[in-house]
Amino acid sequence: MLSAKNLDVRYGQFRAVRGVSLEVKQGETIALIGANGAGKSTLLRAIAGALPIYSGELSFKHKVITHAASCDRVKQGLSLVPEGRRLFTEMTIEENLLLGKTINRAGDWDLDRVFDTFPNLVKRRHAKAGSLSGGEQQATAIGRALMSNPELLILDEVSLGLSPLVVDQVYASIEKLRDAGTTIILVEQALDRAIAFAKRAVCMLEGRIVLDKLTADTNRHEITEAYFGLQQSATQEAS
Amino acid sequence: MINSLVQAILLGGYYALIACGLAFMFQVMRIINLAHGSLAILSAYIVWRITDALAFSPFVSMLIVLPIMALIGWLLQRVILERASKGGELLPVLTTFGLSIVIDNLLFQHFGANTRSLASYVGDLSWESYEVFGLWIGKLPVIILCTAIVVIGGLDLLLRFTPLGRQIRATAFDPETAGLVGIDARKIAGISAAIAMMTVGISGTALGLRGTFDAYAGAPQLLFAFEATIIGGAGSLWGVFFGGIILAIAQSVGALIHPQGFLLGGHFIFLTFLFARIYLNRDFFTLRHWLGKKTTKVEQHEN
Repeated sequence: MLSAKNLDVRYGQFRAVRGVSLEVKQGETIALIGANGAGKSTLLRAIAGALPIYSGELSFKHKVITHAASCDRVKQGLSLVPEGRRLFTEMTIEENLLLGKTINRAGDWDLDRVFDTFPNLVKRRHAKAGSLSGGEQQATAIGRALMSNPELLILDEVSLGLSPLVVDQVYASIEKLRDAGTTIILVEQALDRAIAFAKRAVCMLEGRIVLDKLTADTNRHEITEAYFGLQQSATQEAS
Repeated sequence: MINSLVQAILLGGYYALIACGLAFMFQVMRIINLAHGSLAILSAYIVWRITDALAFSPFVSMLIVLPIMALIGWLLQRVILERASKGGELLPVLTTFGLSIVIDNLLFQHFGANTRSLASYVGDLSWESYEVFGLWIGKLPVIILCTAIVVIGGLDLLLRFTPLGRQIRATAFDPETAGLVGIDARKIAGISAAIAMMTVGISGTALGLRGTFDAYAGAPQLLFAFEATIIGGAGSLWGVFFGGIILAIAQSVGALIHPQGFLLGGHFIFLTFLFARIYLNRDFFTLRHWLGKKTTKVEQHEN
């Protein structure tokens, strides 16, 4: 579904993502794991079109989208829930959600279904997004992405800054999405949660992918070593 | 005194009309368009040309000019502003300043130094007045004031309640995230510029109807628009409306004090507001502050 070949993403001279190749199949759930600064968010933002791709090729549903504008990628069915939520804080929840509907892709996500999925938003419907709690904001951000009826949903650090209880709620709702067959890539710092949620784990270190295995075939120990770059063999496996 | 005040409010309607396009562009595109006044004069000339050649009423000519101005706005954004704004905040200011000089001189070359007016094409309307409690109130200034209210109200409703307005606000707030939710920021910027230029077309016509204009009349229009915008606060269009009226009142008071005080009064109130905005709390200017209702800042809590 999504295919990245030798992606390079740079901030000026700095290569934040170095020669990353990644294949994502329809219906897969992938956990992207790595330390701060490993290039996870950069990779995801480049895939969503918020950052320019320096070199390499990115295609989605067999169409090359390497240099497509981010709104065109949303049109094709690729949606990112950015790190830090990035809501339009001066607007109400409902307005934020409706903005997600700008690209009117066919599908069954609409306001009612988002409010069914995140019942805690219903009573705050007309509240300014800036006045919400972290959990409500995150739910709004996910709901906004879902309103475009994406085929591939990318979630960047959805549990950042949320209390464990709220994280459980957020995960309960994205598990529903996963079980409904939505293809999901997510970044998650809590390793156990990531392994439990995703079928495949991709670990990044210093801008490269150092481990790419099904979660069933790997374990916490192996991922931890890849995370810190301890395992020499892991680097070789990937290359 | 009352008479001056009423006339000032009517003049303020014109200032509000010319300022709202400038403020709209600043608000939604973060661009200070220094060619604003010259474009208003350009539209006044086009209206005059059409009126003169086809013997239409200036109001009909204005309707023809609106799509032309919209196209000019769209081109302005695509060809000039889009590229200029990639070079930082200062570059669009310099570029539009250059553009205003180009427009002024092209107009001068083409139309010469004669002053023009649309007033002669509307017959009696240019001097007809209502008598209210012993005051004479010109029909035309009333029409212009009402137009300003309609235009600003329309823009406000558009921004608040329509999907397009929502997308414009989202793009103004955070263009990158707007792109991520599927908003085509280029398209939105082009539409915003087109809308702003349509208001310029209306204000150019208003200028031509209420007085005379020549090729170099753009600079004072820009100045009045800019002062009204700063006085009213660039954040809200209704603020700009009241900014225009405050400016006009200050000018009239200036003129009462001294025959040459008209412009000085306006500059004085402009500078007062400018410094007040720099040094005083933002809340100071909101209605809420003056109505005594406490502003409840909702703190962002992460749970």
